Amino acid sequence: MTLADPELVLPTEAEEESDVTARRQGLLSALWRSPNGRAGLILVGLVVIAAIAAAFGGTPYSPTFQNPATVLKSPSLAHPFGTDQFGRDIVSLVLDGLGVSLEIAGLAVLIAGVVGTVAGVIAGFLGRYVSAVIMRITDMMFAIPAILLGLAVVAALGAGWLNSALAIGIGYIPIFVRVVRGPVLALRESGYVRAGRVLGFSQGRLLFRHILPNIAGVLSVQVSLALAWSVLAEASLSFLGLGPPPPTASLGEMVAQSGSLASTAWWTLAAPSLAIVVAVIGFNLLGDGLRDAVDPRTRRR
Amino acid sequence: MARRLGSMLLTLFGVSIIIFLVLRLLPGNALTSSLGVSAGLLTHAQTVALDHYYGIGQPVIQQYGSWLASTLSGNLGVSLSSRTSVASLVGSALPVTLELSVLAMILGLLIGVLFGVFGALRPGRLVDGVGQGVSVIGLGIPSFVIGTGLVTALASLFHYFPSSESFASLSGNPWLNLQQVFFPALTLSLGIAAALMRTTRAAMLEVASQSYVRTARGKGLRRATVTWKHLFLNALVPIVTMSGIQLGYLLGGTVIVEQIFVLPGLGRLLVTSINNRDFPVVQSVTLIFATGFVVVNMLVDVAYNVIDPRSRTR
Repeated sequence: MTLADPELVLPTEAEEESDVTARRQGLLSALWRSPNGRAGLILVGLVVIAAIAAAFGGTPYSPTFQNPATVLKSPSLAHPFGTDQFGRDIVSLVLDGLGVSLEIAGLAVLIAGVVGTVAGVIAGFLGRYVSAVIMRITDMMFAIPAILLGLAVVAALGAGWLNSALAIGIGYIPIFVRVVRGPVLALRESGYVRAGRVLGFSQGRLLFRHILPNIAGVLSVQVSLALAWSVLAEASLSFLGLGPPPPTASLGEMVAQSGSLASTAWWTLAAPSLAIVVAVIGFNLLGDGLRDAVDPRTRRR
Repeated sequence: MARRLGSMLLTLFGVSIIIFLVLRLLPGNALTSSLGVSAGLLTHAQTVALDHYYGIGQPVIQQYGSWLASTLSGNLGVSLSSRTSVASLVGSALPVTLELSVLAMILGLLIGVLFGVFGALRPGRLVDGVGQGVSVIGLGIPSFVIGTGLVTALASLFHYFPSSESFASLSGNPWLNLQQVFFPALTLSLGIAAALMRTTRAAMLEVASQSYVRTARGKGLRRATVTWKHLFLNALVPIVTMSGIQLGYLLGGTVIVEQIFVLPGLGRLLVTSINNRDFPVVQSVTLIFATGFVVVNMLVDVAYNVIDPRSRTR
């Protein structure tokens, strides 16, 4: 083992330092101080509360209740975003769809995050040959646009709740592999990990006590950005009619349905679109804010 | 160059394996997809004969080998739902998608780079503000929402909906064709323009702080010369990188936009085939999309060498 290349160690020390400051101040307060982070926290908070409310039946009306008396009514006090062609309350439908969308996105990111992180850690921490094989496969997955890989998976498995999550998750795996492998490679050669190795710590202890906690920040940024992408991808799949089949509420499908109605009933397009946009922008801003909070180098910008 | 070509071929080989494996996860197979439920009524002998016809009984590696061999020789198989050759389906769809992508990329580059360059020249002024507005819309609002909104607005405000007529080819009726392709391309281009605008603006501002730019201004060069020769040419590398990244987005985007605007391109063919479980078509179209993506990425790599002499030394 050669002496550490100073250029390799320096950024890691800066990261350690930032990690200490972040921990001292608390991640949440660091997030709140960056304008992006604050906006992201508020939007994501709204979206998550709405989705949880919908999951526990907290929608103003039943999302499946069809009332022939209120077909395509424009927004009013009783129905703030009007009703659809079956007389269902659009706010309730959107809240329900948002819940489904977050569930699918969450599961997709869980799949991508776990598989990608494990592969990235192995590629960064273990031998050169394993690493080479994993990175080749990652490169090849990168060569297929993620949404296309998702479409191929849906083509293979058919449309459905779990299949949407799988399709979206698989497309995002290579990004997690790349994001995790870099820092693990750098940390493996950092001063304190080398010191730990000299002290005779086991590989497992080095990995779980000294390396993984230090990539948590990078990982949290990526999770947030992945959620934004997954909400978008889920809406795209269901827009194409390849999401979960009808009884399940879905924002993308609502947008697709509104195509023929929107010229007379604009609210059928506006409401689901607004929900998608708020969720996507919220997670993106949260990711930017987390990056500011975790990495001091970008804070100036 | 030869090394790069080699690694591109290797990547394509890997891509074909991934696509093949993903599509072979299919619980059904070519047989059930072409016969539907009635596949269950076949006698054992009939099943065996049909399996043999479709090549399902063979080991996976052999299936992959024969698929690759016939694909490379230009035989993409026969569509299970329309009974025509996949090559002819792809042949009529590919030009539409190419035209759409090229037009979207041109529009995206024009809008993004122009707003980026002129926004960076006077940050915070009107042009910059409009550009920032476009970038917020393009980045925050998904293309299917923009597309649906655009179709609705055109139809209800102007009673204008060129897509309602059957699709005209570029050579057959260029005027109608351009009308039919322009709005989908515009929809797609907004996302590209937004990303390119941000990149261009940031890169221009970064270069603007260099001392040679001050020198060029100081010695009295014309404004336009400084803007395009000193600033823009030196800001080009991140712009080209971002254009390459946007191509992946573009390919995914054509699938959605062709659906909204009823364009008979590859994306629409892909979605229809997925719904029909038309396996050979899905396989070929996915492979063509991925090949296009890989080839363009290699071209972006080559472009670096042309615009940035420093990257040639490696």
